[in-house]
Amino acid sequence: MRQIVFKLRDGALRSGAAEVPVDVSPLTPDKLFGEGEDEIKSTKVWWGNRQENVERIFEVSVSGDASGAEEVKVVFEGELRKVKRIGYEMSAGEIVAEGSVGMHCGARMRGGRITVNGSADCWAGCEMHGGTLIIEGDAGDNLCACYRGETTGMTGGTVVVKGNAGECIAQYMAGGEITVRGNADMLAGLDMKGGKIVIEGDAVMPGANMSGGEIIVKGKVIDMMPSFKYEETVTIDGEEYKKYRGDFAIGEKKAKGTLLIRS
Amino acid sequence: MAVYTDVLCPFCGCICDDIVVEVGEDGKITKVKGACAIGRSKIMGHDRMESPAIREDGELRDCSYDEAIKRAAEILADARRPLLYGWSSTVCETDRAGVELAVEIGAIIDNTASVCHGPSILAIQDVGLPSCTLGQIRNRADIVIYWGSNPVFAHPNHMKRYSYLSKGRFTPGGKKDRKMVVVDVRETKSAKLADLFVKVRPGGDFLVFSALRAILRGHEDVVPDEVAGVEKKDLLSLAEMIKNANFIITFFGMGVTHSGARHNNIANAIEFTRAAHLHTKATIMPMRGHYNVNGFNQVCTWLLGYPFSIDLSQGYPWYNPGETGAVDVLVHGECDAALIISSDPASHFPADAVRHLARIPVIQIDPYPNPTTEFADVVIPSAICGVEAEGSVYRMDSVPLRVRKIVDSKFMADEEIIRRILEEVRAIKEKEGE
Repeated sequence: MRQIVFKLRDGALRSGAAEVPVDVSPLTPDKLFGEGEDEIKSTKVWWGNRQENVERIFEVSVSGDASGAEEVKVVFEGELRKVKRIGYEMSAGEIVAEGSVGMHCGARMRGGRITVNGSADCWAGCEMHGGTLIIEGDAGDNLCACYRGETTGMTGGTVVVKGNAGECIAQYMAGGEITVRGNADMLAGLDMKGGKIVIEGDAVMPGANMSGGEIIVKGKVIDMMPSFKYEETVTIDGEEYKKYRGDFAIGEKKAKGTLLIRS
Repeated sequence: MAVYTDVLCPFCGCICDDIVVEVGEDGKITKVKGACAIGRSKIMGHDRMESPAIREDGELRDCSYDEAIKRAAEILADARRPLLYGWSSTVCETDRAGVELAVEIGAIIDNTASVCHGPSILAIQDVGLPSCTLGQIRNRADIVIYWGSNPVFAHPNHMKRYSYLSKGRFTPGGKKDRKMVVVDVRETKSAKLADLFVKVRPGGDFLVFSALRAILRGHEDVVPDEVAGVEKKDLLSLAEMIKNANFIITFFGMGVTHSGARHNNIANAIEFTRAAHLHTKATIMPMRGHYNVNGFNQVCTWLLGYPFSIDLSQGYPWYNPGETGAVDVLVHGECDAALIISSDPASHFPADAVRHLARIPVIQIDPYPNPTTEFADVVIPSAICGVEAEGSVYRMDSVPLRVRKIVDSKFMADEEIIRRILEEVRAIKEKEGE
């Protein structure tokens, strides 16, 4: 196992009164596999409108060896809230972030595993195609959704959020599975086409414009969509759920989404 | 005395083009006829910023245009995450120069749409926009819906010139040939004029749109007895009005773009318009605020591919409102310098955003002093577009118009200021490269 640790230097992102985010998309196990320590340290990352050697911003330590990207583990340490695109487009290996992370963590990820030991800002797991993303804290808005102008969100993989999730999670979701242990804010599964979302807490207006897939809400639904049709009561794992079909706002033929709410 | 007729008003997105302006022997405007109170005040002019200035030891010190422009260029060339914001109360020629400046310095460029109709643009990109021109509405619309919009206060001449109160070719009786519907969270002055007022619980618009869509698609059976404070029977009668109309226009404002589901409200409003197409002709239009807020979005789209909130820091346009909007980068404390043109974020942005703005170097270009001036480090006064400078603008219905220069001014035009800053930035970069 090859382990690469990036520890954010104190105050490294300061520019006057501002704290300018750094984009660490080049620092994934698959992109760093096969690189020597010096090459890793001189990898260019965008910090604001200029590129810098990663070493200027992070303390870098490298240990062990790997025969493939799947044997590479990347660890981020320090105050990571302004560190964006951790694990962006990652395809193999493991990333652990020791703390709350900035936007786009695990976005467009295809494989491997990311663990965030804290909360993740907006667009985590956005347009994710595969792999596993575990967020120990809360997730921001647009978790597992898609970028502006796209009409397909998450298509595969597994995401677990142990805290609450923000607005519009899983917009245009087409596949994969998301579990939110806490509550999900407004419009979870908006425009959803496929896949599965389990919300163990409460949800606000879930399933709007849904044309496929399944949303299970174990807590309360606040502002139930007025365009869903109650079908029957079903039993899942010994619990009774009300089963609704929708969204009839998009017309009867397309309304093939399933919304299950614990009674 | 000189009299100018058919003058275009550089205030709101209506850009009324029937204004009469009288200019006295001394070259000063003496009278404005046909404009609303706000437009008249803007064209008459008042309380100008008199001189360029640079802040030193907490106080603004008057200086020359050359000195202020040079200082502005130094601040921008040095910044790692600069923000260029405003751009809506100026002409497209300025906006084009602004985009060039943003590309040169790897800035974030954003206009007032991001705190106004930016959500509408996001929705339009998702689902399209069945729209029309204001002229079509004047001549054809028999149902006018104002949703989350209060034109009596925000667009005072809108009803008279283009909608409910105007007389058109197929609506010769004016308001006798039309019905007006207002949907809002409270009974506004506009609502008092309406034939039907629908009161929605704050934040409940998304639910009402979905319910109306289901009804218009023939699924009224699934709709519950009450939706977000609106009784089902009222929704059914509104749907019935829509089905029996010839031409419907829905004008929507801040009440829906910045409440509850925000841009998703608008996507749903557009889908509601589409559902009405199963029965009749229906159109929808945002009530754009600043006269050229639309123009900046047009210019940015044809130059960069995106309409607003564009981050050029990595050498290509990255468009992600929520991350790259002016308020976003300020609230997150990300940007380290800002140029504010023809706008007043100190009055309109959230407190956290203003607090950060006050901490970083700020360059302000504006004809008038405003609360942003209180902490601006470089202040550059400019000519008023549409009164002292000419240029192209886009009306709320995306019709391009040319605003005129009526009187001479001692102030530099916005475009020239931006171009001069751009030249200085290029000179600094050339020096650094040597």
